[in-house]
Amino acid sequence: MKKLQTVLLLLLSISIISGCTDKEKFIVYGSPQNEEELKAVLKEEDYVEKTTVIQHDDKMLVTVQIKPWDKWKKAKLEKKLQKKFDELYPDKEVFVSADYKIYYEANKVKKDGLEDEEISDKIKELKKLAKEEA
Amino acid sequence: MEKEQYQQLEQQVTPKPPYLKNIVKAFFVGGIICTIGQAVSLFYMTFFNFTEQTAGNPTVATMVFFAMILTGLGLYKKIGQFGGAGSAVPVTGFGNAVISAAIEHKSEGYVLGVGGNLFKLAGSVVLFGVVSAFFVALIKYILVTLGVVSW
Amino acid sequence: MVIIFQTKPSILAGGVVAGPLEKRSTFSQYFDAISEDERWQMKTNEQGHRKMIQEACEIAMKKAGVKNLEVDFFLGGDLINQMTPTNFAARELAISFIGLFSACATSVSSVIIASLLTELGASNFSIAGASSQHNAVERQFRYPVNYGAQKPATAQWTVTAAGFALIGKHNDNLPSIEAATIGKVIDFGMDDPFHMGAAMAPAAFQTIQSHLEKRKQKFYNYDLILTGDLGQLGLKLLKGMFAESGVKQEELTLIRDAGTEFYGQDEAFQSGASGAGCSAAVFYSYIDQMMRAGRYKRVLLVATGALLSPLSYQQGETIPCTAHAIEITMK
Repeated sequence: MKKLQTVLLLLLSISIISGCTDKEKFIVYGSPQNEEELKAVLKEEDYVEKTTVIQHDDKMLVTVQIKPWDKWKKAKLEKKLQKKFDELYPDKEVFVSADYKIYYEANKVKKDGLEDEEISDKIKELKKLAKEEA
Repeated sequence: MEKEQYQQLEQQVTPKPPYLKNIVKAFFVGGIICTIGQAVSLFYMTFFNFTEQTAGNPTVATMVFFAMILTGLGLYKKIGQFGGAGSAVPVTGFGNAVISAAIEHKSEGYVLGVGGNLFKLAGSVVLFGVVSAFFVALIKYILVTLGVVSW
Repeated sequence: MVIIFQTKPSILAGGVVAGPLEKRSTFSQYFDAISEDERWQMKTNEQGHRKMIQEACEIAMKKAGVKNLEVDFFLGGDLINQMTPTNFAARELAISFIGLFSACATSVSSVIIASLLTELGASNFSIAGASSQHNAVERQFRYPVNYGAQKPATAQWTVTAAGFALIGKHNDNLPSIEAATIGKVIDFGMDDPFHMGAAMAPAAFQTIQSHLEKRKQKFYNYDLILTGDLGQLGLKLLKGMFAESGVKQEELTLIRDAGTEFYGQDEAFQSGASGAGCSAAVFYSYIDQMMRAGRYKRVLLVATGALLSPLSYQQGETIPCTAHAIEITMK
């Protein structure tokens, strides 16, 4: 029983700690001119938990993490968001993904501080990866 | 003593399976196995070029690999006795069914023994899995055609 | 059907060999040998099974100082398809052999036949007994050994053990077989292969009852009535049936079950031990030695057997069961 108690205590403390160190949930990286606008657009959607947008030139990669219970409709929500962005930015090449891997990579782009052409290349690469099946 | 009378006595004496306890145990064992699976999945996404879509395959393979080691060490049957459906339903249970049959029938050789009996237990899982997938897809196709739901 | 032996053939010696897990048995101190390897250093479980039978027979012969050439008959059986382990052991032992199958009741049915042959004057020495090997039985009747299926609390654990007795002409200083009952096949409609105790209890009840009736004996005329492998629940059911038929509670304490006691009350083995090796190992080690020591003067050994096959229960048949009994006395 002692062991069980320690494990429970550990789990509890981990959850508290992780709850306190909440990082920024809405990130836009690349060209900063429309940052606030983008954040506002994404915050409208209440199923979005976290998001990272990376952009360069006319290319934009919107990666989102959907709230747990809404994940059932992940594919649909992804499509809905894609449509919304296509309508909002008809002159841009937008790609929306709700995949964790793409989100993770987008954050890495920011962390690694990639610039300009590198971002474009990365977006292209990630788009290809996201479309892979099986 | 008559048959009916004996069957009554038998009902009285035989303990009822502790359903609630079994369900709770299965929930936790199954939950732990799935948590490990999620961790493996995250591992593949973090360190390799797999997306949520494509990480499924290597994750399943890895979980079956874990099941193989546990089966070979004789630990999976202990987990199974404790966890019941919790350890039988995840893919590790499928792996255990295949691997335990392979170990068991190795004594009859690789072709007639291992080959012939590998899916002795898992065979019906494969068969009915495919059959039920077909019917689920068929029903959804009809519903989509009728306009009740969308893909 | 009750047989009364006029010449009272004796158990000259017992030979019991068990597997590594059976070290945990409450009876392990009475066993002649315990193997460290569940396969007896052989390649397959079935080969190990054969080796175990061979060793048990050799121990029984050695204890009585008899060579296999002097033994007239070898009677025995196991639970594996076509009884190959016993058949192959008979090949090695080179003794005239008839294989017998009464499932787990073979431990007693073989001794009954051996006693008859002795009584007839056809046999000076006969080896009789039965055996089972956990892994081999598990794989045939249930699942592969390492498959993680949950067993219910009513399930029983097949014992890895072989128990054989050398039966010979009457000797006043040895436990002797005075009477026997060959049981009928009883089917009370039980169909759960994970609840064999419930299927076998009625057979044990019938056999004990008719034995006592024909012998004109009461419960208290015996020091012990020991059933083979009913398990905790089967034993409870058997006692329940006797209680129903008017046997008093204090008399019911004379009934014990080898399967229930085999592994202590260890919950890991669910309802207890089972298998032909369970009854044979206990009867021809513990009981034999207790009688020689004079602890018991008259016991009734009742081995029960569930006569099912994996095929029969998959086809939805119920489980018919039988029980054979021998009455052993000591002067």
